[in-house]
Amino acid sequence: MSTPATVALDAEAIARCVKRIAREIAERGNGAGGGLILIGVVRRGASLAERIAAVLRGDGVAILNSGTLDISSYRDDGRGAPGDPRLIGRDIPFPIDGARVVLVDDVLYTGRTVRAALTALTDLGHPDAIELAVLVDRGAHELPIRADYVGKNIAAPADQRVYVRLNEIDGIDAVVIGGGKP
Amino acid sequence: MARLAKYDVISIEDLSTGEIEQIFALADKFAAALESGTPSAIAAGLIMATLFYEPSTRTRLSFESAMHRLGGAVISSADMQASSAAKGESLADTVRVVSAYADLIVVRHPYDGAARVAAEYAPVPIINAGDGSREHPTQTLCDLYILRRKKGRLKGLTVALCGDLKFGRTVHSLIYALARFGANIVAVPYGGMNVPDYVLERVAAERNYNFSTVSIDELKSQAGGLDALYLTPSAPHQMALFTGEMPLERMPSARPPAALDAFYVTRLQRERLAEKDRAQAGFALFDARALRTSRAQEAVVMHPLPRTDELAYELDSDPRAVYFEQAAAGVPVRMALIAWMLEHRERPAAPAARIEPTLVFKGEPEPRCVNPACVTRHEGPYLHPRFRLARSANRALLSLRCEYCERELRVEFVGHATARRYYRFDENLYGYVRQWIDEGSLAVFETVKQAEESGYEPYRRGPQREIMNAAEIAAACNTIAVQIIADVADPTALALVGVISHGTMLALRLRGLIEAQTGVRAPCAALDVYGGDTAIHTIEGGADFDVNGRTIVLVDDVINSGWTVQRAMTALWHRGRPAAVKLAVLIDRGHRALPIRPNYVGRSIPTARAERVQVRLGPAAAAGEPRRAPDRVVVYSLVESLKEPESPA
Repeated sequence: MSTPATVALDAEAIARCVKRIAREIAERGNGAGGGLILIGVVRRGASLAERIAAVLRGDGVAILNSGTLDISSYRDDGRGAPGDPRLIGRDIPFPIDGARVVLVDDVLYTGRTVRAALTALTDLGHPDAIELAVLVDRGAHELPIRADYVGKNIAAPADQRVYVRLNEIDGIDAVVIGGGKP
Repeated sequence: MARLAKYDVISIEDLSTGEIEQIFALADKFAAALESGTPSAIAAGLIMATLFYEPSTRTRLSFESAMHRLGGAVISSADMQASSAAKGESLADTVRVVSAYADLIVVRHPYDGAARVAAEYAPVPIINAGDGSREHPTQTLCDLYILRRKKGRLKGLTVALCGDLKFGRTVHSLIYALARFGANIVAVPYGGMNVPDYVLERVAAERNYNFSTVSIDELKSQAGGLDALYLTPSAPHQMALFTGEMPLERMPSARPPAALDAFYVTRLQRERLAEKDRAQAGFALFDARALRTSRAQEAVVMHPLPRTDELAYELDSDPRAVYFEQAAAGVPVRMALIAWMLEHRERPAAPAARIEPTLVFKGEPEPRCVNPACVTRHEGPYLHPRFRLARSANRALLSLRCEYCERELRVEFVGHATARRYYRFDENLYGYVRQWIDEGSLAVFETVKQAEESGYEPYRRGPQREIMNAAEIAAACNTIAVQIIADVADPTALALVGVISHGTMLALRLRGLIEAQTGVRAPCAALDVYGGDTAIHTIEGGADFDVNGRTIVLVDDVINSGWTVQRAMTALWHRGRPAAVKLAVLIDRGHRALPIRPNYVGRSIPTARAERVQVRLGPAAAAGEPRRAPDRVVVYSLVESLKEPESPA
């Protein structure tokens, strides 16, 4: 893996994406009248959810509750292929029945993490709707999952990884394609 | 020796207040007799069987001790999981067989409502020694007995229930009883383990009873007699607990609770938590600090035992700690219950004071209990879910209550079984629904789709328009088949799963088209998203349908919200790990409530929410057969919110 790393999104671009996603969430509004709940996928999805929530609150949009899902995409076959992600924890100590839930993750790729998250959420209750917001959509989904809100579509080749770096966790805001683990 | 009357003690509510008082009077007698060593032989010649499908020390030993002390005999299968149940014998068969060996059966079982099932099938009386997270009435008898002995009364006492109030069955039975005896309850749930709604709704509906909830930190912050408390505006009643300003209408007693009389602490029911929740359930320690508040000076501390780490050992020496006395009361109280049953052996089984009749679903889809731990979800086909009408907070939904586990099922669509018409429920229909229940002709559906799959038509429909004819449907299937073949590198890795029933028909057509072009006959399965637990059936081929490593094409006729697809994916994942899942639908009508997008779409049609898209397909007509009605897709509007449904017939 010697391809040079490309910066797809810098800090400013990420901030713009977050703002735009928040605005789109606010614009779509809430048809059924249930409250808005943001659920971030640990860890970077949760950080993004916090940023989106901050923008929404700044714009005066009411958020009923925020929570997180911890979904691990552990490798289980020893050959480097990712096994199926599964729920390992959650912090959603409130009912989600009748609510409009926005699920936030950093990257949408195979769709398997989102599937695990949807199952986890529907185990918890009967939300009115679940929407999906991602910073990066890599395409090439293995499941019929699509995002409602996308920061940027990045069609990277399958052998290249897309790294989302966020200040809260990595000390820098950037989306980097390829180049090995920075 | 005459057998005992068939008088089951499944719930604390099976015993009237007067009967509980009689049992307590007997318990006083037996406690004194045990103290003085006076033997009893009133149960001589009787045999009690203890069937414990869950581990127990105290309950089983105190029952067995009580029976021995009364001169009776005990037969026991201490570990049912390792015996006949492990061979797959049903609970119903087990209790019928054991009824021939014993005069009385004590049952503990991990599923909610299991004791009710045992009572229905056993000709001898059943005593519930704990069923799932539901009830544990004899523990409640012990709790009430000790509380009354320590405090001299039950009415007007204020009891703080601390710990796991969600799964703690002893707590649920105790709440029903305290509400009945006019005691005040303060709920102090730990780690979000709050009293379940169905318990709150039951005491609210049957006893017009409400109680308040505070956190353990709020309780402890009262150490030193502090009367101020940080309160959230949404819970003003929390203040009342500590200031004596309890709003009277919230409390069954006219006396505002200035002091707490008892703390009832329970352990976290770890065995009933999903694996993923175990790590997170934070549990506070109940220690001497909680007793230092000025309001708790006179309070006794109770615990059904066993304790894990929620109750500090430092309390053991405090005279207010009565949990070992509580455990010791297990024998005289259970002796009293058995003796009471002996005294009342002529008494006929109490007529069940059912306010609502049991619903009968003759040949119609049986609604499934929403509670995954309900006994009806585990005992096999002999046990049918049973519901009765319940009061509902939401007037747009019909509310049914499971007779076994008490959980509420909220139903959106109802139907009349003879008229074969379905309706979206609203309160205007309530009178008709009552009438249909009386006739035994009520059907209930989770979705419009389920209603139509069951052969029901909407009560009234607006004008319909055809949006696809047979030729267009055939062309759309062709296009989808070609797209699938182009997408999938290896057709032998393909498998089709059709959602019953139109999705399955489409899946079979697609399979035929794919076979015609590639020569590969892909495995095909039908997926029933309504039938009991979501199930996948292989259509042909005999062998178990294997999803591992396959590219699954999930096929449905119409995609709307996406909930069906979500349920179907969950079912697939129960089977294994597909390499990929593609979604093929004949019609995408919009209105998605989930982030799901089909990969192959015959036609996208914008529709209004109140419109219904109906796909009509038939199996391919064999040569020589008369032509069936042609395939078509129609859209019509549902006329809803009817005031006068047509007279059923």
